[in-house]
Amino acid sequence: MKMIRAFIRPEKEQEVVQALEGAGFPSLTKMPVFGRGKQKGLQVGPVHYDELPKTLIMMVINDKDVKKVTDLMMEKSRTGFVGDGKIFISPVETTYTVRTGEAVL
Amino acid sequence: MKEITAIIRRDKLPETKKVLEELGYPSVSIQSVDGRGRQKGMVCDNDLDPELPEKFCTSVKLTPTPSTYALEHTLPKVALFVPKRMLTMVVPDDLVTKIVKSIVKVNRTGKTGDGKIFVSPVDEAIRVRTSETGGEAIV
Repeated sequence: MKMIRAFIRPEKEQEVVQALEGAGFPSLTKMPVFGRGKQKGLQVGPVHYDELPKTLIMMVINDKDVKKVTDLMMEKSRTGFVGDGKIFISPVETTYTVRTGEAVL
Repeated sequence: MKEITAIIRRDKLPETKKVLEELGYPSVSIQSVDGRGRQKGMVCDNDLDPELPEKFCTSVKLTPTPSTYALEHTLPKVALFVPKRMLTMVVPDDLVTKIVKSIVKVNRTGKTGDGKIFVSPVDEAIRVRTSETGGEAIV
């Protein structure tokens, strides 16, 4: 299993979530985060924004679905401008469902 | 070292913290998150969050709320989310099963929405104050 953590634009969140739901991946966790990237924030005239709001979407999926999910996320959250976000994939060893206590995804 | 990420009901947080304390592993990071599972964010009436005051029970806020953005911009279809708490802790390998079992025991209600627990490997831990690394840093 893999954990996917995608930092996307907040305004693209609904689109991504609904696309994932359509593809059969309804389960995810989201949280608002603030961050900056290579551009060290954003400069608008004299005002410098060091940290910009993003939405972190976290989901755990089976290994074989990783490409499908990341492709979908990239397609839906891409605008072509800096600040589109990053996707990180990390390993997960076990998943437990609290309701049943079983180690299944 | 393993990282345990548990996504649980909001009202179970105090009990969970108590249990972790009893196990001798009180260190935990807690975050408010919004989530949805196989039910796509739906909750039935008896699943209403007991943490919310009575007067909220008829408002939109109470049941899984669409995000602020979705409320502001009328979307044809809105994805719903349920507020949850996310616990993150890094523990030694041999304690993982014990901690997971106690979290499951405290949080289980038998209804959907009880949450998930993820166990993933962690390569290194460093205590900022003393620069200790590895097992010493997480004790």
